[in-house]
Amino acid sequence: MLTLKGISKSFPGVRALSGVSLEVRSGEIHGLVGENGAGKSTLIKIIAGAYAPDAGEICFADAPAHWSSPREAKQHGVHVVYQEFALFPQLSVAENIFIGHEPRNRLGMVDHARTRREAKELLLKLGVSLNPSARVASLSVADQQMVEIARAMVHNVKLLVLDEPTAVIAGREVALLFDRLRRLRASGVSVLFISHRLDEVFAICNRVTVLKDGRLIGTRDIGEVRREHLISMMVGRDLGDLFPERPATARSGRPVLRTEAVAIGDRVRDISIELRAGEIVALAGMVGAGRSELALGLFGALPISRGTIQVGDQRFTSISPAKAIKLGMGLVTEDRKSQGLAMLLDVAANISGPTLAEVTRQGLIDKRLESAIAAHEIERYRIVCRGPDAPIATMSGGNQQKVIVARWARICRSVLILDEPTRGIDIGAKAEIYRIMRTLADGGVGILMISSELTEVIGMADRVIVMREGRVTGELIDADVTEENIMNLATSERAA
Amino acid sequence: MPRWLRNNASLLGVMLLIGTVYLVGAVVSDRFLSFGNVLNVFEQTTDLALVSIGQTLVVLSGGIDLSVGSLISLTSCLTSGLINGNPDRIIPVVAAVLALGTVVGLVNAGLVIALHVHPLIITLGMGAILQGVTLLYALGPVGRVPRGFNFLAYGRILGLPLGATIAVVLSILIALLLRYLPLGRQIYAVGDDANAARLVGLPRTRVLMLVYGCSGFCCAATGLYLAARFGVGQPYTGVNYTLASITPVVLGGTILSGGKGGVVGTLLAAFLISLFNNLLNFMDVSKHYQLVAQALIIIFAVSVYVERRREE
Repeated sequence: MLTLKGISKSFPGVRALSGVSLEVRSGEIHGLVGENGAGKSTLIKIIAGAYAPDAGEICFADAPAHWSSPREAKQHGVHVVYQEFALFPQLSVAENIFIGHEPRNRLGMVDHARTRREAKELLLKLGVSLNPSARVASLSVADQQMVEIARAMVHNVKLLVLDEPTAVIAGREVALLFDRLRRLRASGVSVLFISHRLDEVFAICNRVTVLKDGRLIGTRDIGEVRREHLISMMVGRDLGDLFPERPATARSGRPVLRTEAVAIGDRVRDISIELRAGEIVALAGMVGAGRSELALGLFGALPISRGTIQVGDQRFTSISPAKAIKLGMGLVTEDRKSQGLAMLLDVAANISGPTLAEVTRQGLIDKRLESAIAAHEIERYRIVCRGPDAPIATMSGGNQQKVIVARWARICRSVLILDEPTRGIDIGAKAEIYRIMRTLADGGVGILMISSELTEVIGMADRVIVMREGRVTGELIDADVTEENIMNLATSERAA
Repeated sequence: MPRWLRNNASLLGVMLLIGTVYLVGAVVSDRFLSFGNVLNVFEQTTDLALVSIGQTLVVLSGGIDLSVGSLISLTSCLTSGLINGNPDRIIPVVAAVLALGTVVGLVNAGLVIALHVHPLIITLGMGAILQGVTLLYALGPVGRVPRGFNFLAYGRILGLPLGATIAVVLSILIALLLRYLPLGRQIYAVGDDANAARLVGLPRTRVLMLVYGCSGFCCAATGLYLAARFGVGQPYTGVNYTLASITPVVLGGTILSGGKGGVVGTLLAAFLISLFNNLLNFMDVSKHYQLVAQALIIIFAVSVYVERRREE
């Protein structure tokens, strides 16, 4: 169905793709894997018609394709569901699904009733029941995902490209999605499935292609390749163990953070937890359980409506980020682009961010000192960039995340909170970040890690606290830390 | 808060304010409440309403049109200048002026798309160009308008002021356009998230041509109305309308970044502003204080609107 031959694409200073060839057959689900920065996003945008390749040819449905816009690609049957979604928050579900292809009545005017009706039907076919008039901004992320996929179903789609479709859904919704994909495959539609979750790639794909550093490493039939082999193709080296060793004494430090009956708005109802020095505590739960709100509240970014926070020996009923930083706390936020990085600045500025006083001499910023600090961190964490003056926006997600972690790791003395630290990050960078976390913990910092990836939770945590709807439903240690127990607590009705 | 209330909060807010002004007015003077005064206010809203309707469309698409004031000056001068007292010329000149306004709007849209520059800059520049062209044509009041033409501003149709009625009809047409034309819905989408709109393949060119074209048309209509009202076109007559056209848009519930709002709110808000001015006249407040009062309303309204935005 789709054949790419020798595709190359460069941006100023960066060669995103060189000579990539790929073939997606009809009636096939083809997986595309690779580290961040491997070129997957660029390839997708070329397939979608958003970028034009510098070199190479594209063949779609046995005809050469030179798309000048996403609109043209769509007309030919190529639909892309992007990781960041291309939804319109103020418009309704039905409007989002049919935007650009609104059902019309005989006069050529938009038929709103039909739009709503057909939207509801499409969603039901995907196994989702949503109010077609609901504003998309009011939906959960998982529901928004379904709206995106429903939108792709509107037209006769020949090639469906899914970019990290399961990044924000789990369990039942993933199963439903896969079921739908299998049905599409049976009807002759081709699917290009991009994902970091190798288990899922093995579960649903027929073949898989590996990209690394903008080049094609290889394409294999799913039955003929093993997970470790795939990983080594992606990373180019043997990773060994992904998760660092857990010291036996991890849980025995003194408490560095304690909360008592903390409530934050209506997302966090009543949280009393304790974090000890040297410990990595994972905060698990479904999307919407209130974990991110708790993290923001602990750091002072959201106001606490009830309860107290105790950091070390000091107790507070209200806290601010400035105060939190003074107390030696750090927060790696969930969305690095909008909440963590200064996207228009360079690496050095992003590292020195919270501690400008440190690089200020007589009222002026000492750029050389700032650069030296950044260079030190770049080397220490193996951050891939051209130097301390590299613009942060041009770096891959994994490296951007390393910059943020480096920023806080430098100044954190007591508590480091990380919200989904390895989301959307390649395996190589993941391993690095895990290593950094454990090193910090061994140095006496208490680490609170919010994560929705259960392998990560099980692999990293000394203790697991599970939240649901703003309350703690349970705590797990040692042998009790299993996927099943965590999921049970994350979805159970009983509070601890 | 029930959903219908939340979705129309700004409309209800404006209507509440209108009610409040009437209550205060009732205390100040009983002539304020008279039907004649209502028609009076209705009539005085015409110019602001006409230009703000076009501005609403542009803002909905995520842009802004700062060329409106100069375009109004130009069209009003051309109207009285070209007709110059000759009743036979009325229809062709009216048609030509409306066409000119629309074309200027289309040029604005074309520049935004071709040059990849923010509409604020493009329309600001266009406004300066248009003002220059106006002054090239006339340095002072120019031409005159024949007796029949004044009917546009002072005439009545079914007992209602003609100009204002045209404004209302125009906004109804545009509201229908927004609701029932596929391109109408796409205006909201482009305003809501321009990047998503591009990725989904929406025809941004057509959308922008439509909104800026309509804005240009509305400016030309305003220019025609002003020529009819004053009997003569003046080169600086439109100067205040640029910023003034944004107030009813914001007050009426359209968000400045686009994607949410509509013309009904704009129309009501324009009426509110005229009504408020009317009240201040009844209270014998000097014109200068009136400007201050208007500014305070804007600040108050926008701060309420900002609170609302943050809640979402």
